[in-house]
Amino acid sequence: MIGYHLLRRTIGFAFILLGLSVVIFTVARVVPGDPARMALGPLATNEQVAQLQEEMGFSKPAVVQYFDYIGGVLRGNLGKSLLTSRAVADDIAQALPATLELVLFTLFLIAVLAVPLGVLAARRHNSWIDNASRLVSLLGVVTPGFVFAILLQLLVSHFHFFPLTGRLSTDIRFTPDITHLALVDSLLKGRFDAFADALSHIFLPALALSAAGIGQIMRITRSSMLDVARRDHVETLRSFGVPDYVITLKYMLRLAAVAPLTILGLEFASLIGNAFIVEMVFAWPGIASYGLRAILSKDINAVMAVVLTSGLFFVVANLIVDLLVGLIDPRLRARG
Amino acid sequence: MAAPHPLLEIESLNIGFASYGQTTQVLHDVHLKVEAGQRAAVIGESGSGKSVTMKAVIGTLPHPAARVLGGSIRFDGQELLSLSRRERERLKGTDISIVHQDPLTSFNPVFTIGEHLDDVLKFADRRLGTSSDARSRRTRIEATLRQAQLKEPERVLRSYPFQLSGGMRQRVLIAMALMHRPKLLIADEPGTALDVTTQDEILRLLNQLVSEEQLTLLMVTHNLAVVRQTSDYVYVMQSGRIVEHGPVREIFTAPRMPYTQRLLEAIPPLYGPKVQHRQAHSETVVITANDVVKRFEAPRRFLEPAKAPVLAVRNASLSICKGDVFGIAGESGSGKSTIARMIVGLMPLSGGTIEIDGRSIADWRKDPAFRRRIQIVYQNPASSLNPRRTVAETLAVPLAFAGAVPKDKRAERIRELLALVELPANFASRYPHQLSGGQKQRVAIARALAVDPEIVVLDEPTSSLDVSVQKTVIDLLLGLRDRLGLTYLFISHDLSLMRNFCNRIAVMFRGEICEQGPTDTVFDDPQHPYTRALIASIPVLTDAEEQAKPQVTLEERRAVLASTIQ
Repeated sequence: MIGYHLLRRTIGFAFILLGLSVVIFTVARVVPGDPARMALGPLATNEQVAQLQEEMGFSKPAVVQYFDYIGGVLRGNLGKSLLTSRAVADDIAQALPATLELVLFTLFLIAVLAVPLGVLAARRHNSWIDNASRLVSLLGVVTPGFVFAILLQLLVSHFHFFPLTGRLSTDIRFTPDITHLALVDSLLKGRFDAFADALSHIFLPALALSAAGIGQIMRITRSSMLDVARRDHVETLRSFGVPDYVITLKYMLRLAAVAPLTILGLEFASLIGNAFIVEMVFAWPGIASYGLRAILSKDINAVMAVVLTSGLFFVVANLIVDLLVGLIDPRLRARG
Repeated sequence: MAAPHPLLEIESLNIGFASYGQTTQVLHDVHLKVEAGQRAAVIGESGSGKSVTMKAVIGTLPHPAARVLGGSIRFDGQELLSLSRRERERLKGTDISIVHQDPLTSFNPVFTIGEHLDDVLKFADRRLGTSSDARSRRTRIEATLRQAQLKEPERVLRSYPFQLSGGMRQRVLIAMALMHRPKLLIADEPGTALDVTTQDEILRLLNQLVSEEQLTLLMVTHNLAVVRQTSDYVYVMQSGRIVEHGPVREIFTAPRMPYTQRLLEAIPPLYGPKVQHRQAHSETVVITANDVVKRFEAPRRFLEPAKAPVLAVRNASLSICKGDVFGIAGESGSGKSTIARMIVGLMPLSGGTIEIDGRSIADWRKDPAFRRRIQIVYQNPASSLNPRRTVAETLAVPLAFAGAVPKDKRAERIRELLALVELPANFASRYPHQLSGGQKQRVAIARALAVDPEIVVLDEPTSSLDVSVQKTVIDLLLGLRDRLGLTYLFISHDLSLMRNFCNRIAVMFRGEICEQGPTDTVFDDPQHPYTRALIASIPVLTDAEEQAKPQVTLEERRAVLASTIQ
């Protein structure tokens, strides 16, 4: 049953997150450099450093520190950031929505661009459309996201179609404070000017971020559609004169969607990773700059929090994909 | 016939398939005529072009690979090949309908049966210019399903394909074809993919519907016995040509062409003077199975309540003598292959004992010496032979591992083996894809014989082959048995074949052996109702055989086949 399956997956994912936290914690401890010294700077006295070490619990054995930390996380306390001297949870809550919005919008772009192109390439396989799409997807897959980011900026800076940096223009005076996603909140509040502004800001970074995914998903959709096209049931419908567009867009596509959907879930991880770099290029006020500064300064609590939240979103995305695949395929619902 | 022209008339139809710039002609001057109200059949083995002919009629030839090189197809006086796409589409499902062969793959697994049927009906209505609302369509669909003897149409419509049995899905396919009372009903091997008792039900249903609705039927099949049951007129196809045609009775009693004669002779008779009777060779028992049980435990999964185990074989006992051709008959899921696998030692028992030459195989089966005693030939040589290995490489494997034949002797042994299965020695360097189905199965037989076994288990060795090829493989097996003193355990669902090949037979039904004995006794006087129903379901070639079959009442059928009859 799909219910048991999802429960099993959830428990499995919880263990993955736990393992991830152990790895990151260990790595952060092993890397040389004293975080307290780095936080306080070269001018601080040894006493001040020792005092901060005591305060952050750095003087305790590593295992104790780890369990203290995990205990805190389970109670909703992510600790204090050395860098900003604020609660890490607050920092994350401030930076995360922007990143989430970017990644979700990228997924949306991938889905609406790659799937139709893949279907088209399959319908016209071995035609010039197919060959062109093959070339484009290859380019998308082999070119790193930040190269696209820079190329897009160079290109657009000549034409001024889109803003090059940031999330919202300052003169719009809009704060996304419902879901914290600017695109959603602006619509909820009926601020269409803010929506247009947010859209124009997010478009370029999302496009840069989506290139690799579009390439992959397009190819997978194509081969999946071609595979389904050979099945007997397609011919059954055809022999009864069900129109081609119904066969393709309804019957074939739903069956063929399982593979690209699964890959899209896995893609989520690399999207978050790539978002770090794309955010830097477009000065996107997301989690990237926070995460990078945290890593460079060995701000353990902040690094842990960034990694664990990314992991959590990856896990949730895959659970959603599992659920969707189950909704598509009744055999999986029955088997689990 | 009152009609001025035949309902379907194909003349000099030539069709080719283009691939990599070359066109291979697959149909040569095909002529075919079906009068309104006639029941006609096209029979041919795989590759004969019968399916391509049907696709040309229905209009689903693969595009753009298939090319019509010439000829004409007239339907109701109208030339189909020059019709526009739109006009062609209009005929589909309304004037010409087809009952598809494989009931599982003919439905999209992620849509309900109802969704399929509704779309078929909706767009057919739309092409006819009548719009229909979902409710009225639903009523019509349910009525047609009832006509196809599906008792609970609501449940069927709600179901996904995998939730229905093969027989039910086949009935849905029939209903799909009947929704618009087509002028011409094409049936493409209906029921062939199903068990023989279910196939029998399907053919009866089709016959009944054709006579009730006065339909014109064009049956496409590879089974001559099915032709006799369902048709009045038959066209015999071979390699893309119609080689002979005539009324069924005429063709069956006095075939003129050598191919038709060969085809008719290749079919093993169920009753009558042509049946071959096999005698036991000795009374020395080589295999005994006592109360053998096989339970398949469903894999226990974390957090989930345990599922009930499946009893694949329950308390099966049998004894096989030296030189026997012992048949285990049964339909899919009856447990016959599971028994075979346990006897070959490929699968542990859940209960009971199996002894070979009086020695329990429980531990012995792991010994390489055991492999030299008993070997197995699988059903489908296309998947049991590794496509990347030459014949010689395939045969070398048992020689190296179970046969302990030194390297320098292997080439000679491979030549011997090929000669044994009547293949030329130069086949040693060929790959499976360079061999025909029959040749591949010969290689698989040679592989089983490589280690000089005394017992060979044959798991449906001919069911993936055409009937004419089947005969040559069976003749080869009989010859080998005499020359090498082999004992065969023959697993099959084909009772006509077993009638002529086995000297003893056991019939399995839902994991149990319901009847066993000398073949002649079982066929002449079957005791168990299932055996009777099974034999009665087998399509046969002559009226005499039809009469010799056990008579089974409807109640008897219902009792044993409750799961397949609605």
